[in-house]
Amino acid sequence: MFADFNATRVILGVLQAFLLVLFAPLITGIMKKVKARTQKRVGASIFQPYYDIIKLIKKDETVSEQSSWVFRLNPWINFVAITTATLFVPVVMAYSPFGIAGDILLILGLYGLARFFLILAGLDVSSVFGGLGSSREMMMSSIVEPAIFIMVLSVAIVYGGTDVSTIVNSAAQSPLLIPTTIFAAISLFIIILAETGRLPFDNPATHLELTMIHEAMVLEYSGKSLALIEWSKSIKQITLLALLINIFVPFGISSDVSALTLGLGLISFVIKAVLFGILIAFLETRVAKWRLFRIPDLIAIAIASSLIGTTIFYIG
Amino acid sequence: MMPQFDLLAICSAILLITTFAVVARRGFMDWLNAYRYQSIALAGVTAIIAFVTGIWEIYIAAILTFVIKAIVIPKVFLRVTGGLAIKNKIETDPYISIRSSVILSALLVVFSYFITEQFPFKFDKVVNAFLPVSISMFLIGIFVMIVRKKTLNQVVGLLILENGLFLFATSLTHGISLIIEVGIFIDVIIGVIISAILMQRINYTFDSMSVANLEKLRDE
Repeated sequence: MFADFNATRVILGVLQAFLLVLFAPLITGIMKKVKARTQKRVGASIFQPYYDIIKLIKKDETVSEQSSWVFRLNPWINFVAITTATLFVPVVMAYSPFGIAGDILLILGLYGLARFFLILAGLDVSSVFGGLGSSREMMMSSIVEPAIFIMVLSVAIVYGGTDVSTIVNSAAQSPLLIPTTIFAAISLFIIILAETGRLPFDNPATHLELTMIHEAMVLEYSGKSLALIEWSKSIKQITLLALLINIFVPFGISSDVSALTLGLGLISFVIKAVLFGILIAFLETRVAKWRLFRIPDLIAIAIASSLIGTTIFYIG
Repeated sequence: MMPQFDLLAICSAILLITTFAVVARRGFMDWLNAYRYQSIALAGVTAIIAFVTGIWEIYIAAILTFVIKAIVIPKVFLRVTGGLAIKNKIETDPYISIRSSVILSALLVVFSYFITEQFPFKFDKVVNAFLPVSISMFLIGIFVMIVRKKTLNQVVGLLILENGLFLFATSLTHGISLIIEVGIFIDVIIGVIISAILMQRINYTFDSMSVANLEKLRDE
């Protein structure tokens, strides 16, 4: 493992993490555009999230007098935790040099940290909506997390370990569509919808107090902090999509360090990420937001799916 | 490296996913579409079994499965349920909540894989792939019939159960004789028609499709 830890690979690893960070708002923009087009609207440009972030960074920030240091620190903790998680995810090459420092559980732990501080910040400003959003988010995360861990278990027993590089490497070499991974992919797709606050769980476009979950927690933010929070939300979304793509449809990913295969890996990743973004956007136009207390139904599907996948691996 | 497909395993995965769609969704159209896709997958599986064993009769069974289960039965259902109120087509209040029944159905699948493992025989590849799936379809069909109140949902459960039995017989015996297959198909169609008439009578008499209402005594 340490023999692979040379300078070129480290630079490439940092570069692919940067790629995720830079590419993230674009995917959000593409999803918004697709959603608008399917609803017969023209929609904003696909670069609109970048313009939003630039505009927000230039603006002044208003912070409530009632808030404490948690509120001011939260955007930075969010951004740093979620950006650190991108370092462990293989994107263009089937290997991440920082894999020696942590596996998929560390990524989930970093997301847990980010979410914990987001919940605290929602409670911190003592606005009604913040507390409402925080309690909903806590309820959702407490039922999503078991689903995530059973999903990770079923992936880990198929591909031999929880290390992301190991998983992606053996996924790239094994036959496409093993039944266990079909079930795990269904589970991860539902989890991604829940984690990134997409439609059956949470409406990302609304500011209506009855339906907000994520938006309610960040309602008090403005200026640079809001820019950071929006950006880290996009980064989290694309990182989870990269996990989904590279674990379940890894073909085209580069397994060695040469310009040609890396280029191929980059192109295939961008195409697959855009296709998944379009798929999620289409799905969002087809479903309505579910009632909060029906959300466990979907999570139950995710849990059942991973459970069946695990069973089929052992007995099937 | 060319990606390879384990076709049998993928077919069994599709069958299981469509079975779960019936358990996890609440609307009649979702069940019917799930049943339709399941029947198409079942026809494909039957054709695969015919190809593996080389018995031409099973091809006819596959075509019959496709025509009757994927086309005729959904059409009959759509005709029958055309005039029903929307409240009769949605399972709003089952005996066991949808999330619990999804988890319980997953446990039923685990159970059926487990008991297939306990059989003291050696099976070939086809039986290995489809026997546990057919048993779990059978069990989930019964489960849906038990825990749901709406008759439409119970009939869909019965049809899933029948699909499971068909898969069980075809994969285990590599094709029972064609005469019996045709008899079973006619049986299914008659069953669907009878249950359709029964549903209409229930709806006409009680103004509801919920079986829970049948338990009340009426003095008239």
